[in-house]
Amino acid sequence: MPPITATYTEEELVLLLQQQSRDAFNYLYKQYAAVLYGTIKNVIHDEHTGQDVLQEVFVKIWNNIAQYNPHKGRIYTWMINIARNAAIDKLRSKGEIMKGKIQTGEDAVNILAGGRKSEQVTDTIGLRKMVDGLRPEYSAIITLAYFKGYTMDEISKELGIPLGTVKTRMRNAIHQLREIFNN
Amino acid sequence: MDTRQYIDSGILEAYFLGSLSPEEEALVAANIATHPELAEELHHIENALLQLSSNLAVEPPAGMQDKIWDAIQRSGANTGAETTEPHMAKTIPFQPEYRKPAQWKYAAIWIALIGSAGLNFFLFSQNSRTRANEVAMTAQMDSLNAAKQQFASLISEYQKNKSMMADTGMQTIVMHTMQPGHAMAATLYWSKTHGDAYVSVDGMPQPPKGMQYQLWVIQGGKPVSMGMLPNYMANTPAMQKVAMQITDGQAFAISLEKEGGNPTPTTVYVLGKV
Repeated sequence: MPPITATYTEEELVLLLQQQSRDAFNYLYKQYAAVLYGTIKNVIHDEHTGQDVLQEVFVKIWNNIAQYNPHKGRIYTWMINIARNAAIDKLRSKGEIMKGKIQTGEDAVNILAGGRKSEQVTDTIGLRKMVDGLRPEYSAIITLAYFKGYTMDEISKELGIPLGTVKTRMRNAIHQLREIFNN
Repeated sequence: MDTRQYIDSGILEAYFLGSLSPEEEALVAANIATHPELAEELHHIENALLQLSSNLAVEPPAGMQDKIWDAIQRSGANTGAETTEPHMAKTIPFQPEYRKPAQWKYAAIWIALIGSAGLNFFLFSQNSRTRANEVAMTAQMDSLNAAKQQFASLISEYQKNKSMMADTGMQTIVMHTMQPGHAMAATLYWSKTHGDAYVSVDGMPQPPKGMQYQLWVIQGGKPVSMGMLPNYMANTPAMQKVAMQITDGQAFAISLEKEGGNPTPTTVYVLGKV
């Protein structure tokens, strides 16, 4: 079996996956395993659990590819969402999310500043390390919303800031991300 | 809509991150569908977060690829769905798969709306039908009641007639037409001893509009008014007791007069001698 070296467009990838061949899987894994695993690892820090979730995610993508509708969004986003949801799901089912939740805005700052629970620290620091120059409050809000699946209400309570501020801060955070990536 | 202001509010970011309430999410999805600049902005947001994900990539440990392939082989399409569905079903408020849930909700909203409209229409038409039935029933009841009243009055007329017939002192005076070519007749029952008189204008046509029949008694060669006859009596077997007590008279007559009557008869229609 010759190794796959080509890069497919999203449309081609969908067609490939629909064939359900080993080649298709190899390509999928090679292209996306690291991103999906990274996404999962942002939520779940336990190696073993993370690997279990990664396996679940691939099985899910594989078996649900027929349900993917290209008109409804990019397959990349679709797969990342499956990974994130599976990870958050696993975390919540284990009750770990409550452990991980920060109680007050002050606590959040402490954690962002490098104190307290190692799990939270890894998140935000990881994100800030990866995304150089992202302001700490933006890093916190992206972590909570994008990687932890918090709703606006939850974020508002979590960080002790008004709902309106949550929204504008989300906007600013992603705006800063865009600027960082564009440079 | 001021799309710039809308974008600046941060609602698209919240939407993409799945942090909105279902109601808000449906609203935003509707706005995106109708404003291309919002879709464009959403695309940039998606790209930024996809790039963020790429930046956070972590290489899984070696051996995972084969392990996962084995798992896929074991799962099969069906069993795979079984093991994965619970997680799909449980999916948390977080739904950054932005168009899919929105579309799904739209479908649900439309189905609900159409269903509700259908149900409303069904109930409305049922209600209308019930109401129409009710109206029809009421009308039927009314006509039955009217018929009943008609029969009751008819019976009472016949009873009156019967009791009059039984009265041995009762004279029957048939009034004949005074208008050549017009066959008309009326009947007067008179009990001279009691002074009671009953009149029926069964054989006379309905008077023209604004006209009325007037009953006369001829006493000493002069007509004396006995009163006006209600128009409904014409051409029916209805019989009416004359209010006036009559103890003397040589003849009875009915004339056509203007409504309310005249002191003297104008056109005598029927006349009957005692």
